Amino acid sequence: MTKIGLEIHCQLTKLKSKLFCSCKANYREFEPNHNICPVCMGLPGSLPRLNQKAVESATSIAMALSCETPEKIAFFRKNYFYPDLPKNFQITQLNVYGDMSIGGEGYVNVEDKKIKIRRIQLEEDPGRIIYEGASERTKITLIDYNRAGTPLVEIVTDPDFESPRQVRVFLNILSDLLENLGVAEPGLEGAMRADGNVSIEGGKKVEIKNIGSFHDLEKALHFEITRQQSLFERDIEIVQETRHWDDKRKITVSSRSKEEDQDYRYFLENDIPWVKIDQGTRDTLKENMPESISSKKDRYVEKFDIAPQVAEIIASDRYYSKLFENAYSEYNAKDIANLITTDVIGFIDTKEKQQNSKITSQHLSDLIDAINSKTITRNSAKVALQEIIKSGKNTKDVLQEMDLGQVSDSSEIDIIISQIFEEEKQAVIDAKERPETVNFLVGKVMQKTKGKADPVKTLEIIKSKLNQ
Amino acid sequence: MVDEDEIIRVAELMKINLDDHGEHVSRVKKMLEYFDILDQIDLSSEEITSQEKSLTELRKDEFIPNDKKLIESLKNFREHYVRAPKMN
Amino acid sequence: MNLNTSILKYIEDVKSGSFTVEEFIAATLQRINDIDGDIHAYLSLNDSAINDAKLIDQKISSGEKIGQCYGFPISIKDNICITGTKTTCASKILENFVAPYTATVVNRLHAEDAVITGKTNLDEFAMGLTTEFSAFGPTKNPWNIDYVPGGSSGGSAASVAANECLASLGSDTGGSVRNPASFCSVVGLKPTYGLISRYGLISYANSIEQIGPMTKTVKDSAFLLNIIAGQDANDDTTIDSNNQNYLENIEDGIEGKKIGIIKEMTTSDGLSSEVSTATKDTIHDFESLGASCEEISLPTIPYTIAAYYTITSTEAGSNLARYDNIRYGYELESEGYEYNSYISKSRTKFGPEVTRRIILGGFVPSAGHAGKYFLKSLKVKSKLISEVNNAFKKFDYMISPTAPVQPFKFGEKIDDPVTLMLLDYNTVTANLTGKPAISVPYRVVNGLPIGMQIMANSLKEKSLLQAAYALESKTTLPEVPL
Repeated sequence: MTKIGLEIHCQLTKLKSKLFCSCKANYREFEPNHNICPVCMGLPGSLPRLNQKAVESATSIAMALSCETPEKIAFFRKNYFYPDLPKNFQITQLNVYGDMSIGGEGYVNVEDKKIKIRRIQLEEDPGRIIYEGASERTKITLIDYNRAGTPLVEIVTDPDFESPRQVRVFLNILSDLLENLGVAEPGLEGAMRADGNVSIEGGKKVEIKNIGSFHDLEKALHFEITRQQSLFERDIEIVQETRHWDDKRKITVSSRSKEEDQDYRYFLENDIPWVKIDQGTRDTLKENMPESISSKKDRYVEKFDIAPQVAEIIASDRYYSKLFENAYSEYNAKDIANLITTDVIGFIDTKEKQQNSKITSQHLSDLIDAINSKTITRNSAKVALQEIIKSGKNTKDVLQEMDLGQVSDSSEIDIIISQIFEEEKQAVIDAKERPETVNFLVGKVMQKTKGKADPVKTLEIIKSKLNQ
Repeated sequence: MVDEDEIIRVAELMKINLDDHGEHVSRVKKMLEYFDILDQIDLSSEEITSQEKSLTELRKDEFIPNDKKLIESLKNFREHYVRAPKMN
Repeated sequence: MNLNTSILKYIEDVKSGSFTVEEFIAATLQRINDIDGDIHAYLSLNDSAINDAKLIDQKISSGEKIGQCYGFPISIKDNICITGTKTTCASKILENFVAPYTATVVNRLHAEDAVITGKTNLDEFAMGLTTEFSAFGPTKNPWNIDYVPGGSSGGSAASVAANECLASLGSDTGGSVRNPASFCSVVGLKPTYGLISRYGLISYANSIEQIGPMTKTVKDSAFLLNIIAGQDANDDTTIDSNNQNYLENIEDGIEGKKIGIIKEMTTSDGLSSEVSTATKDTIHDFESLGASCEEISLPTIPYTIAAYYTITSTEAGSNLARYDNIRYGYELESEGYEYNSYISKSRTKFGPEVTRRIILGGFVPSAGHAGKYFLKSLKVKSKLISEVNNAFKKFDYMISPTAPVQPFKFGEKIDDPVTLMLLDYNTVTANLTGKPAISVPYRVVNGLPIGMQIMANSLKEKSLLQAAYALESKTTLPEVPL
């Protein structure tokens, strides 16, 4: 059986300042090395000053992942030399003197599988290294420390995944959850990264690092599983090691043994006292957390009788759930939910499109009103939606400008049907013999009316004509 | 007994060049041997403790831009990057 | 002009118009000019000292609001940062380092109109207790320039003892304020951990070190503590001093107080007979002041030196890792080097003692050795804290000589690492437990000083200074022969 575990790093970009200084947490807008200060540059004499909100945000994440959160947290130094680390140590967390990192022992349900969260810790992001130059010989190393000190939450899972697909589903759930909490923007470039470890039946654990995106993670996991399986089949030992994902060649490559030799000499970061987070504080944090995706989903199902799959889709996306929450009323909730999941999602399927979309909750409730009062057909609503998303004009104007009013006058529909019966003689014969093919004729009517014909009336008239 | 090779290996990890400094190894070794005294004390009931602070006493989350262009007083390369030697 | 005066007397004289700030500062700078070639207390001088003095004189004459320091001259150990000036830590690796910020303690002194004379010498990165490990040459003991001044704040102690300033700020990781205070016959206070901000102090072993005042009198230390103590938003480890006035009631005496004589520190093999005799006399003095003295054993003390050096090396190994010469440092062409060889090459600028402590600091907390050294040392620290806390349930103070010996000659002990470590035997306990301790000049024997150490419970600086003042008032000491 394949076992996969993950180490996910997520930046708390919704914070205003870095983990230990007042530079900006979201460093993306700055010129190189213009979001730095003596603290995040580790200049001699400077001292870290822990960001209260960072501890709170990280604790909320732990709570949202059903983790235990301790009464006291501690920080440690992870010592190693690397040019992106201004102090040549990273301030992070560890559980050697009892459980003193932000959280642990949590879980996430992925479909029918329980994925256990082993540990969550708060740490500082290093700077960024940029390699320039065409060849190995002319290559130079440049460092931008703007990112150094950005608050980072590391989430470590148990090796509970059985397939790369499960990993993908989990990561989607996790990004939705982090976004829903309002602490992170997983869509930002580099804001959420994941490393994986893979072992197959009878083999040792192999860690894969240096993976740029979730998309690559899935590829890397696939590659690694295949690699291990082929070794296993040929009776070659799978050694415990760290491998790097080579983005160009799309393969994993064994890392130099020197790095494995690394001794981080973890010890307490005494510049930061142990932080007490008493039960009262934790209770308050819990109360102030936004509603979780699963409880939202349950609420939609129970209160509005929305189908569980539909409720899940809406609840897990902050954008859709916001649209929904502001649009629904007692009587139309179910219709709005369906409109979102059948039509809106098709047009706004990326974060970018969500950002550019001009649709509001008011549009949705107006459209549903129009459909329910038979002013327009569902098909017309779909056409109108596209325009609304683009322009943001009010619903009434869009329907008028695009001439989307429903044709429900029986005599008008009657004439159109007669024309179609002339054009589609064979289909009429077929429909008489096999009533289930009648939809073809309905479709033709819709085509001719650009979807404006009342579908119920259309079917009624066709049926009566067929029986004549 | 402390192994001198082990001291040399550690020195390398700490980016300390020991060429022409053999005497450092023997001096460090003497200090480590003195530390053997730690084997003679019973510490079984001791726990590690530290200074403590409550969450609310920590720094508030505020963005305060560093007023000086710090990078200009540091070693910098074109476009204000810091340059590191070649990574192998 | 008499430069051998206390801060408090100086302030009185400036207020009464006996001399101007400029006159006193000028005389101080002249004194430095005359004798510092022999003493080498200073690594750099404040070029604008005279100007600073003039501005304070103007404030005084115009009746403007004036800070409580009235421009008295104070020197600062060169591991404490001041904007725009070099902070070298007496190391070649920071030879040209100019900090872009000022330490909180210096900001507080500036706000109260003190005049900084300059930066004083130390053992490189404060590792040592003779200043022989300064990369820029040792400081000499003003009592006899063939002898070491103690360390690591040797430059600070010597500058005060030689009347090259009225006070100094040092830093104390394992005795680095108290030991040179004792060797140079000045008062040196290591406050409770967290009482004084470390912001701007270049870290050596950050979990236990503190900045501390070094002065000619106990009252002057109390005066300085009033200015520099207290919480600082730039240092998460600082604690509230509750705006204590340490000078108030300092003459209250110690009648009825209970004093513990620390057995391990007063009977150890390394104690010289002169120091031993002085200790016995100190006990009599305290008794004559109305206190009761009793021996107390702290059985963990024999293990503290090993624990202290293990913990400090570990932290030093990490704190000094940032000196890779990539973001700041000295010119070294990186062409032809790869990353690791470049850093190793750059770090050959560290002097011998720092180099050894870095190696030690890589060894004792490493995966294979942490159990034997580092974790045990942290537990020794815990055990010592309980022991000392227990002792303070019974005693108001605990005393010992500050150092087991008097100052010795240059080169005398530098070759034996274990002998050198044991010189810290009486001082590291205050650092490992975070308790305040003070060294009070007690006697001069054969032309060389002996200091006595008094330790009190956490945040009991006020009471500690009362005892120190009481002891000081029992002593009559000669003037420095320089």
